[in-house]
Amino acid sequence: MFSNKKAESDLNSEIAHHLHHLAAEYERQGHSPKEARQLALREFGARDQVKEECRDERPFAWLTGFRQDLVFGLRMLRRAHIVTAAAVLSLALGIGANAAIASLMDIVLWRDLPVPDPARIVLVNWQGQGFPRELANGASGSMFRQDGFEVADFFAFPAYESMRRTVASQATLAAYTFPAQVSVAWQGRPLIAEQRPVAGNFLATLQVRPHLGRIFSLADDTDAAPAVAVLSHRFWANTLAADPAVIGRTLTIDNRPHIIAGVLEPAFYGLFPGDTTEIYTPIHHAPWRERERAEGNDRLLDPRNWSVQLIARLAPGVTAQQLSPALNAAFRSTWSAQPTEPAPAIRLEDGRRGLGVLSRSFRNPLYFLGALVALLLIIACANIANLLLARGHARRKEIALRMSIGCSRFRLIRQFLTESALLAIAGGAAAILVAYAAANLLGQFVAGNGTLPLRVSLDHTILAAVALFTFAALIVFALFPAWQSSRLSDPSWLKQGRGSIGGIERRAGLTGRILVTAQVAMSLVLVMAAILFTRNLLSVRSADPGFDRRNLVVFGVRPGASGYEKSRLMQFYFDLEQRLAATPGVASAGLAWMRPMNVGGWWQSARLKGQTATHQTSVNAITPAYLPLYAPQLLAGRNFTWSDLRADAKVAIISEDLARALGGPQVLGQVFEFPDGPPGAVPESYQIIGIAPAIAATSMKERPYAIWVPFSKAGQEATVVVRTTQSPDVVLPALRQTMAAIDPNLPMVDTVTMEEQISKTLLRERMFATLCLAFGLTALALCVVGLYGVLAYYTSRRRAEIGVRLALGARPSDVVAMVLRDGLTPALIGIALGLPAVYFGARYVQEELSAVKPLDPASLTLTLATLLGAALFAAGIPALRASLLHPLDTLREE
Amino acid sequence: MSTKTTNLLQGTLDLLILKTLAHGPLHGYGIAQRILVASRETLQVQQGSLYPALHRLEHKGFLKSEWKESGNGPMAKMYSLTPAGRKHLAAETAEWQRYAGAIALVLES
Repeated sequence: MFSNKKAESDLNSEIAHHLHHLAAEYERQGHSPKEARQLALREFGARDQVKEECRDERPFAWLTGFRQDLVFGLRMLRRAHIVTAAAVLSLALGIGANAAIASLMDIVLWRDLPVPDPARIVLVNWQGQGFPRELANGASGSMFRQDGFEVADFFAFPAYESMRRTVASQATLAAYTFPAQVSVAWQGRPLIAEQRPVAGNFLATLQVRPHLGRIFSLADDTDAAPAVAVLSHRFWANTLAADPAVIGRTLTIDNRPHIIAGVLEPAFYGLFPGDTTEIYTPIHHAPWRERERAEGNDRLLDPRNWSVQLIARLAPGVTAQQLSPALNAAFRSTWSAQPTEPAPAIRLEDGRRGLGVLSRSFRNPLYFLGALVALLLIIACANIANLLLARGHARRKEIALRMSIGCSRFRLIRQFLTESALLAIAGGAAAILVAYAAANLLGQFVAGNGTLPLRVSLDHTILAAVALFTFAALIVFALFPAWQSSRLSDPSWLKQGRGSIGGIERRAGLTGRILVTAQVAMSLVLVMAAILFTRNLLSVRSADPGFDRRNLVVFGVRPGASGYEKSRLMQFYFDLEQRLAATPGVASAGLAWMRPMNVGGWWQSARLKGQTATHQTSVNAITPAYLPLYAPQLLAGRNFTWSDLRADAKVAIISEDLARALGGPQVLGQVFEFPDGPPGAVPESYQIIGIAPAIAATSMKERPYAIWVPFSKAGQEATVVVRTTQSPDVVLPALRQTMAAIDPNLPMVDTVTMEEQISKTLLRERMFATLCLAFGLTALALCVVGLYGVLAYYTSRRRAEIGVRLALGARPSDVVAMVLRDGLTPALIGIALGLPAVYFGARYVQEELSAVKPLDPASLTLTLATLLGAALFAAGIPALRASLLHPLDTLREE
Repeated sequence: MSTKTTNLLQGTLDLLILKTLAHGPLHGYGIAQRILVASRETLQVQQGSLYPALHRLEHKGFLKSEWKESGNGPMAKMYSLTPAGRKHLAAETAEWQRYAGAIALVLES
């Protein structure tokens, strides 16, 4: 390979020597030296072919050939640099988007928990017919319908203790609870953190290793043991500045000192990717338990308080099927009351991937987006395939020449594939950046209620995904054109002029058209998705919530966790509201239990006293100043007063639509009740004293009936809503000053404007709209380029024919019509093929569209118009150019 | 040079080249001539296959070559057998004789 020059000159000399002898032989036979030389040349035959075959015999000949291919390929790519750049860019976008979605799928759907032997982890649920009212009077957890049963994940703590002991030989069983916000003081700095109370053996059951210090044991999870905390690596690194000396020091959690026992290993992200938990503490020292004990109502050991979730690690050699009956028996033996029929039974779920919080809500969106980006990549590949076909076609004289001087077809295909591989590698390299950026952008969207944004690092997963998609793309776009081009080896082309249309030319044109048709069909799906989701987002975002959403600031306060005594809380809230309202730039301030526009909240079914028809309502407890922040005027009745609050008056204001459902304005003064209390208890009842306009209280996507009750039982925490007279940005510093003046140790939790609060609830809509719009625009651009490219190329091949037509009397408009027909036919066929895909795909996105229908006629019309417009534009340019041809010019080119 | 010639059987060219070179170093043209003469003008080696075969055998290590002044005319590339080539020739000759003998047996039966 390195002595290439010497080998070449040796080869030439060797052949020259042979010819010399041959010629000498002929001279001996009586020919003149000149004749002899010619006869020798004729006898030797195709010298280049012999040379080529000798070169093929060299060791590493394929490598030498590869270098030649590479150099030649680079030269060809450089010569057409704009085309090359466009191809590389479209490949980078297509491959990058696919790799990004694939690496998110990996994190959300496929990756195991970062603990040893995750296959042995199982989640313990039970299934039955609804909430076991006879057995429980309170639950914290989730319940959903599956396989005809209600499946729930909550258990009573005493039941857990007994089950854990019973099945100890087959599995270790550990309890955990949901994380909650706590107020943390670290070195005098007030912070808000997410804390998850867990059983003492929880971390040991998962076999999470400590990075520093130790994890808990069951001995830590007793009332007698001192309160300890184990920190997530993220919290330790971000908030405690990764200080290795924190072990043994005190962290104040909700005004109670905890000793920091350990910091967990960095790989452990929690029970699911995006788990917000920052602090783990034993259940016996959970903040809610401290509050319950302070109130003299310790319910941890109450067998009717179903407050914990269970996870288990199977002992070696034990299967879930073996554990299930034992656990079921243990579960039943914990019941204090007679079982209801059909009885709830234990249901074990695969826990190797942890809690499926993200996978449940993002499986379908990820598959849907994955399908869209796959289409995008195919469209990009079709473009490049077309480009390669056209180029192979343009180079057919060169190809014919190379074949006739001894280049094998295999070698030719290899040359084409090398060029394509160069394109793919360049595209793949750029795609790494695209994938990394896109995956992290998408990871932001996955964040939501109780989920952190997912961070995707530039690791082997994403690189493998890029490599995989690059290879797949190469196969898709390169193989066919290479094979097709290598067939263009008919030597007769060497003699052919430009304008003639041979059989192969027609065929190549047909392939191009088929590819463009497929592109249009796939683009239709992508453009429709883009328009549909953009319209959905716009209409949800611009929907009228029933109040002026500008100039509102929302934040939380947690005085209970900062040491305020219960008796002082009411006065504290009263003072807080007054001082905030007196702050410059503030029009008014109100307090509520539930944060507005936060999707979830406090839901109750309500009915008029003495009636059976119940209505699902969203309830909030508020101060008198709260409702006027949204609706200055009540429609009927009166607002609350502070004396209502202090007297704990059982009065309520209801929304206009609920009033209508309950029977119209005459419900004012009547009494309604919340029937879903504990069995046997008297339901809470309220007298209706006012009717307010219906406003969107929980999100922009739904408008539930609303009930407001007085902010009477001063809670440990409250949400503050402030209406400002100027832009919130201007007033916020003054608000912070007022808060610091009231109490410097009281953090403002999650301070946002109402607009920001609203857009938080629209994250999912924004994700779909942003991504689909980006995909749709890219697809449309690729499609226009593809259609334009095919038409422009084949129109230029037909210049002579068009010239003849014009010379024979065709009008320019005839030529325009001819080329347009050529371009619009594949576009129309593509649209026709794409419509069924849109029709069948629409049902999969139904649940993601809250404001428009999946087959929204306006969106469909807009999609068709967009695609037709794009096709007209793409076909129009070559059509116009062809009509402006001068017949004589084209004929002279021959 | 329009004698009646026979096409070489696939794979036998290597053997003929090795055998020809067993008598001493020769250049490409000389090899072709020697085979033609030795086969009484029956076997004519095409240049198109001779040189690739020479190069192949050289890269396999059965032949070595050096450039030499050859009386009159340009420098000639002289091929000669290597020890490995000699061994290969012996093995291939035995194999060929076994093969030809077998064919002869069938034809005579």
